[in-house]
Amino acid sequence: MTDRSGRALRMAYLVASVAGVVFFALSVLLLGVWPARVLEEQGRAMAPEHMLQLTASEQRGRAIYGREGCAYCHTQQVRYLHADMVRFGAPTLAWETRFDFPHLWGTRRIGPDLSRQGGVHPEDWHFAHLFAPRAIVPGSVMPSYRTLFDGSPDRPTQDARDLVAYLDSLGRARAIAGPEAETRARDACDCPGDEMAAMAFSMPVDASPARPRRRGGAPEVPAASDAARGRTLFAASCAGCHGDQGAGDGPGAATLRPRPANLAQHTYTRARVVDALWNGVPGTSMQAWRDHGPDDLAALAGAVAALEARLAEPAPTPDLLALGERVFTAHCVQCHGTTGDGRGAAAPELRIAPADFRSQRPSLALAVSAITNGVEGTQMAPWTGRLTGEERLAAAHYVRSLFGGTVPGGPR
Amino acid sequence: MARSDGPAPQPVVDGALVQAHALAAFAALLVSAVLGLVAAEQLVHPDVGAGVAWLGWGRLRYGHTQGIMLGWLGNAFFAFLYHGVPLLTGRRVTSARLGWWLFAVWNLAGLLPGWALVLAGISQPLEWAEFPLVIDVFLVAGLLLAAVQFLPPFFRRGLEHLYVSSWYVIGGLVFTLLAYPMGNVVPEFVPGAQGAAFSGLWIHDAVGLFVTPLALAIIYFVIPAASGRPVFSHFLSMLGFWLLFFLYPLNGTHHYVYSAIPMAAQLGAIAASTLLGVDVILVVTNLLLSLRGSGWLPRDVGLRFVATSTVFYLIVSLQGATQAQMAVNQAVHFSDWVIGHSHLAMLGFATFAAIGGLVHAWQRMPGARYNARALEWGYWLLVLGVVLMVADLTAAGLVEARAWLSGAPWMESVRAARPYWIVRTISALPIVGGLVALLVGLTTGPRGGGLHAIGAGRDLAPGSGIAPVIASATAREAAEAVS
Repeated sequence: MTDRSGRALRMAYLVASVAGVVFFALSVLLLGVWPARVLEEQGRAMAPEHMLQLTASEQRGRAIYGREGCAYCHTQQVRYLHADMVRFGAPTLAWETRFDFPHLWGTRRIGPDLSRQGGVHPEDWHFAHLFAPRAIVPGSVMPSYRTLFDGSPDRPTQDARDLVAYLDSLGRARAIAGPEAETRARDACDCPGDEMAAMAFSMPVDASPARPRRRGGAPEVPAASDAARGRTLFAASCAGCHGDQGAGDGPGAATLRPRPANLAQHTYTRARVVDALWNGVPGTSMQAWRDHGPDDLAALAGAVAALEARLAEPAPTPDLLALGERVFTAHCVQCHGTTGDGRGAAAPELRIAPADFRSQRPSLALAVSAITNGVEGTQMAPWTGRLTGEERLAAAHYVRSLFGGTVPGGPR
Repeated sequence: MARSDGPAPQPVVDGALVQAHALAAFAALLVSAVLGLVAAEQLVHPDVGAGVAWLGWGRLRYGHTQGIMLGWLGNAFFAFLYHGVPLLTGRRVTSARLGWWLFAVWNLAGLLPGWALVLAGISQPLEWAEFPLVIDVFLVAGLLLAAVQFLPPFFRRGLEHLYVSSWYVIGGLVFTLLAYPMGNVVPEFVPGAQGAAFSGLWIHDAVGLFVTPLALAIIYFVIPAASGRPVFSHFLSMLGFWLLFFLYPLNGTHHYVYSAIPMAAQLGAIAASTLLGVDVILVVTNLLLSLRGSGWLPRDVGLRFVATSTVFYLIVSLQGATQAQMAVNQAVHFSDWVIGHSHLAMLGFATFAAIGGLVHAWQRMPGARYNARALEWGYWLLVLGVVLMVADLTAAGLVEARAWLSGAPWMESVRAARPYWIVRTISALPIVGGLVALLVGLTTGPRGGGLHAIGAGRDLAPGSGIAPVIASATAREAAEAVS
């Protein structure tokens, strides 16, 4: 080989080697450095002025979330896609992730996205679910994290508390930023020119179909329902807590406070069941089931009605009922309301709404037990110190008489 | 860069280092496969291992993927380089002593403590970067040692008329060294969406700049060396090489389509992914044309693994280009379709290429045991397992995507996936069985059985297969030597 062609070749290889490094540098620049700069500027412009950091406990929980690989089944990134938005809410904005070292976006979704998980479930639900996921969600494939507990879901270690604190923080920054922050972000992103960015503000921030809401707004459901479908759905979604027979004694029930409702010992109006399914019961582990269509809600309502034990209960004497009314008026109306609809003057202050006796009728035994022992996990206190046995029995009869629905196979 | 003036010394393959890395590779492959098998089984029976922290699904998955990429493919590539580099360059690798240091750093300071730490809960939740930062120090040191070990022979020889495998080796070693720290370290210090942009780069660079180039180096080496026929076109092979190194790094953001990352970056990555599919058609066409005369199922097991790997490479790349398209991505992203894709890439394409390279090297070591029957079993069991697993996971992904789009309750997608997860676990059995068969094939049987299997005598010069190819790549050089 001549010197000249050798030199030319060496030049060519030099150029090629430089080009190779340039290719790599180009990729880092185009797909790493540049997007990061854009996102940083965007974050600065769009973030609320005072964005909360994670607490020390939440930080530790985040490390546990990372160490156990939670991000490999649960994404933390709502995409700019209708299918994602109707399920999980507004798409993730860069500023929401600005304290995430490292990011936990994930690329696989075996379980649902958790970007806006905070506030969907109470702590006792999380503990029971982490300890034994299938006790709460039949068919779940989530691993059991019982190593974070001292033998039982109501004995969480610090690790479990930290992890749940972190889960409850997810989505908080955007949720508490408020409308002024949304406006600020929308202005900063110059959305009219950017169809995709505009999507970030076109949906409620949180769309979790499981997040409990106050009552109301449930859709019309058909009167007729498919009993077999109802039983299937009940087994799939409800039996974990409420038990196969609806007695409130499912495998996940033991450590939930308040305990899951004993469906066998209650008569509900159909509207009440549909409402509880649609909205959940805020403050309790009863989540909402808005991902079920009207037919399925009707089927579930039918399944719940079919669980009712239909006990032959003694009828109260008029005197006893009159005593019950006096007791109720004296002691119960503050929370349960004068008509027993659960809308007493104090009700809005309570974390868990007082029972609405217009739409649910407990069995006599259950009513007596609640008045005697209180309802653990709620503000319903035991009344043994202030009411005699007869008064408690009378009050139990009275609240049962308030029921506004029809009682199948029995007297009103 | 200057060529040495004297005659090239006889290339010497250091058989001990080939064997050490190959056995470490197979051991790591078996361990990683078992970790994967347990994790797959946990999706069917989630209470397997419950209550034992180190058997948690997430930790097993960390160990599985890091073990495959670093333990199995890393060691397998090094083993092959000890065979291939001397033959490609006519020079010894830098030093045998350095080789044992590399072996120790990679396996004893990197892989084993890495596994122990992720199982103990010390890790970072970044895909393909789960070993904690302290391990990265040793792995980067290992990559540096590898560069020092394998690159100088190329420069001592001179870069004129490098055969394409040499280019892939140089490219793979150099760019992994650049990309690894970026992917493993940057997201720890750059938050959220910004960090994810770098993670996306690395997820693809791990495959594109480490696994693919070294696997292609093996394929391009073994096809001519085993068949005795030069590659179809050196021009196409070089075109493919440069397009690959241009396009692969630009793919990263396709892991975060429809995310908050600027749409221009997403679209650029999608365009690059599409072009990459075109490039792979080019590369694979060249490879398949080079296989003409060897048949679809070559008799030589090493060559057969490599030929099958080539076909998997085509399928997985076209699949990758397809699923990067927004219309497809929005449905199948986050689903088991992608898990099927990554198994087709790492287990189908890369693992088959690496096994082909190891078997090829093994056949040419007179002192190595070789059990042809066991290797046949290994091949067919692996083909069965991979095809079943990938088909099953692809179908599972479509089922999940449909459930998600239907708006049905989330749990319906989980329940619908269960039968597919059962099949996936079953598909892992022939894979593990195949790996055991391969290990048996390389550790039992008569010494020198490999030479017998390829119909060569004990005096086969190690480079006799690849030499004609190098010669044709360096025709001018050869002509000069004669004159």
